Amino acid sequence: MDWVTDFWIPVIKAIVVVLALLVGGAYMTWGERKLCARFQVRYGPNRAGPFGILQPLADAVKAIFKEEIVPHHVDKAIYLMSPGISFAAVLITFAVIPFGPQIDLLGRQIGLWIGDLQVGLLYLLAIAGLGSYGIVLGGWSSNNKYSLLGALRATAQMISYELPMGLALLSVVVLAGTLNLNRIVDFQGQWPLIVWQPLGFLIFFIAILAESNRSPFDLPETENELISGFMTEYGGIKFALYFIAEYTAMVVNSAIVATLFLGGWKWPAVLSNLHPLAGVALFLAKVLVVLFLYVWVRASCPRVRYDKFMRFCWKFLMPLAWVNLAVTAVIVALI
Amino acid sequence: MLSDYHFIGVFVLVAIAFPFLALGIAWLLRPKKPNPVKTAIYECGLETIGDAWVRFRAQYYIYALIFVAFDVEAVFLFPWAVAYHRVGLWALAEVFLFLGILTIGLVYAWRKGALRWQ
Amino acid sequence: MSTSNPSVHKLQAQFPQAVLGVTDFRGETTVLVRASEIGPICRFLRDDPDLAYDLCLFVSAIDQLHLPNPITSRDGGPCRFVVVYQLFSLKHNRRLRLKAPVPGDPPRIDSVASIWPAADWHERETFDLFGIHFRGHPDLRRILLPHDWVGHPLRKDYPLGGEPVQFTVNRDDPELANLGKQIMDAPTKESDVPPWFSGRPDTMILNVGPQHPATHGVLRIVVELEGERIVNAAPDLGHLHSGFEKTAEHRTYQQFATYPSRMDYVAGMSNDLSYILAVEKLVEAQVPPRANIIRVILLELQRLAAHLIWIGTQTLDLAGTIHALLQYAFREREMILDIFEMVCGARLTTSYFTTGGLRWDVPPAFPTKVREFVDYFEKRLDEYEAMLTHNPIYRSRLEGIAVINAEQAIGLGCTGPVLRGCGIGYDVRKSMPYCGYEEYDFEIPTRPYGDAYSRYQVRVAEMRQSVSIIRQGLEKLKKVGPGPIKDPNRKLTLPPREELETSMEALIHHFKLVTEGFHPPAGEVYSSVENPKGELGFYLVSDGNPRPYRCKIRGPSFSNISALQVMAPGSLFSDLVAMVGSIDITLGEVDR
Repeated sequence: MDWVTDFWIPVIKAIVVVLALLVGGAYMTWGERKLCARFQVRYGPNRAGPFGILQPLADAVKAIFKEEIVPHHVDKAIYLMSPGISFAAVLITFAVIPFGPQIDLLGRQIGLWIGDLQVGLLYLLAIAGLGSYGIVLGGWSSNNKYSLLGALRATAQMISYELPMGLALLSVVVLAGTLNLNRIVDFQGQWPLIVWQPLGFLIFFIAILAESNRSPFDLPETENELISGFMTEYGGIKFALYFIAEYTAMVVNSAIVATLFLGGWKWPAVLSNLHPLAGVALFLAKVLVVLFLYVWVRASCPRVRYDKFMRFCWKFLMPLAWVNLAVTAVIVALI
Repeated sequence: MLSDYHFIGVFVLVAIAFPFLALGIAWLLRPKKPNPVKTAIYECGLETIGDAWVRFRAQYYIYALIFVAFDVEAVFLFPWAVAYHRVGLWALAEVFLFLGILTIGLVYAWRKGALRWQ
Repeated sequence: MSTSNPSVHKLQAQFPQAVLGVTDFRGETTVLVRASEIGPICRFLRDDPDLAYDLCLFVSAIDQLHLPNPITSRDGGPCRFVVVYQLFSLKHNRRLRLKAPVPGDPPRIDSVASIWPAADWHERETFDLFGIHFRGHPDLRRILLPHDWVGHPLRKDYPLGGEPVQFTVNRDDPELANLGKQIMDAPTKESDVPPWFSGRPDTMILNVGPQHPATHGVLRIVVELEGERIVNAAPDLGHLHSGFEKTAEHRTYQQFATYPSRMDYVAGMSNDLSYILAVEKLVEAQVPPRANIIRVILLELQRLAAHLIWIGTQTLDLAGTIHALLQYAFREREMILDIFEMVCGARLTTSYFTTGGLRWDVPPAFPTKVREFVDYFEKRLDEYEAMLTHNPIYRSRLEGIAVINAEQAIGLGCTGPVLRGCGIGYDVRKSMPYCGYEEYDFEIPTRPYGDAYSRYQVRVAEMRQSVSIIRQGLEKLKKVGPGPIKDPNRKLTLPPREELETSMEALIHHFKLVTEGFHPPAGEVYSSVENPKGELGFYLVSDGNPRPYRCKIRGPSFSNISALQVMAPGSLFSDLVAMVGSIDITLGEVDR
């Protein structure tokens, strides 16, 4: 192991994962448009390439070459940085998620994860909060009232839903007895955690819908009330960054759900033992299932009103998560 | 051998570099023809009335305060949850005490009307 | 002074000095009153239990400048303007029109906004378009035109004419060099805010519209927010003002028939019919039964189409663009528009009805197609209800939101589902039937709570009623069989093509009708229909010429959207979209 390989392996890994996430996010926009079109008896994008498969590319080119209008009276430095913060925060979250087993590549053992942290779950929780910075700062710096309202809503919403999310995760930790995501995946070799924690899964799924500002909880952007909320004043590549941050966040969050509740790359072991890449395929399939849920919910649920949404969090979801945690703890103690 | 934290550090750097690289490329490629009319601020097609940086309702702030209290307590639960298997029934009693305090806190906030949207 | 309307005697007994005259024309009663006593008269008309004219349909005016026999003031002096009040009594199901000649320059009359809140906006409109001042009006500002507009367009001496348009560019023109490069000057103008807003330092004034996704057109709502709670909200109209009333004065009666469907473009058929019925009332046209049945079928299809747009857009407002219902609603509406296309070649601006009947008969496949559609549609409606009616999120967005009680709704002149959602079963189809609606068996759905969910339920129930009416219409159409679809009166309707080749008289009639139009007798009528959004009425004043002397359009959306000022204060910003959606407006008809 010379110094060069030590340096290059993490860099290559990082670039590959970032690119994969970027492509995943971009294709999620395409996938959502296609799926929604089917829900709405339409065709969806079908002009750029077969099945519109090149649509994300066309969108990206458009965003890059678009003239950008920076309204005066914005807080320029923050205004320019915020979309970058938003996107970077989403990418960073993925760092601890194992998306496959350890594989043998060119004579080296390479784990299909970025970092195998003992406190992986805490890392997830810590980084998940970062994303709200991009939104809050962007909305505030735009000097637009709609952006401001969106930003404030985003703040309150994202921090509030972090609590039920954390409590739902605690139930997982109580069962698995570890914060390490690889260990949690190993723990689910027999049965995925959703079997033991159906309520925890539901709470967690609702919380991540809220965390990633997705319908029916897309209150910070509510195109019908706040026009576009925090990104009203953004255009061109900056809008594209916000947009792809949202979709990449969906992919990353789905990956988290797949890892924590659906058995990650491992379950069912019969399949993942066949070939190292079968594990990766399993993982991807689970991510896609969760992503489909995201879109399905969006196509069939009206948006919740903001005050009721906050009430739902504090007065229903949180107590429910506590009860779930307490019941889990008691059952674990008894068995 | 590098530790996993180094791997994550490199990943974080790449992840941060990426969006700013995109911003930079777009900055190089896109046309730049600003003029005062183009960059004028407006709101739904009309001149904005007053400033957007105004004094705003404290409701959001109260949520933030409650959150801080509860999030810190929730973080304390993580070590307990990890060690739960090893510590056994004692831990269960302790955590019920802890959760009880949390519940009292929530009930207090609830009764005070801090959770009511105004 | 003989009249069929019993209210008049009572009014005369109460105000012997103030009632200047009574006219009966085409079964409508017009009472001429003295302008100086308009306040007490109106209050009496509203409060006396035997009169109870609680619904003020519109307040408008007539400029008598070119009228051959103008109404004079008490002392016989010239009096250019007459203010017109069209009233309706829900209790006694009676209409009454007041006319008050207003002397002076500028003309002045007391405001009746304190008696009927609906008059508030109508008086502002009259002030805007005629320059009549209403004393004691709480907020007399221009409503349709910009506040710095010069002149009052509905006055007869208002200069007409457009701006010269340059159709070619001369190559020698020095401006050609920087064509497309110049930066147009965009002077910044303060957005105007209603003077009655509190303007407290802790509130934020927000423009919602004219360019906003949830205002259903170019409506601007000025909102004063405290946090996310609305302190005040005021709709600001006129961004789509297109001067239909002025246009009507310069078109023959037949020519203007193509305009109404451009107002409420999601319910073209109903708009057309409202105007045609007013003209038919004026000229006493006889519509054959077959034409009436086809009219009813098409009207109810149009109601379905308009309600489909409403259910789609309201769900869009509450759920965002990805929610599937919008597309479902448009899929069904598409089928209705296909039927319209089959009948008259047009889909939106149909102009299928003419004075005295229909332009031509429906194609033979019409009944089958309509039957196929209603059978299909009923199943779809069940599907919508499964998606929405009991959806807890949807209900939580609508229940207890945008509440208006019956008294407020009547006062503001709300009609249609907004009024029926408050438990008042007022429907022009029942109270003043037209096109033979009295022969159909249907109910007027009402809900008592006055919230957005009541309006939702009312509209959904109305769709089911419409389906039943269409079924009955199809039965009747079968029973009536083929027959004439136009009034045979050659002075009103064009003769058939084959007659032109043999009959000199037919040719002359044809020529006269096409070049000149018909001459209705001098007089005035008000006629209304139950539009999907409420009572849409046309008030036509004829001076005997082939062009209307004055055409006032009473649009339901105009009065309904004024209810926003009552509904909004105290609710949350998110509810604003539910309110606008549940009122269901079309800006083309609000601004006219």
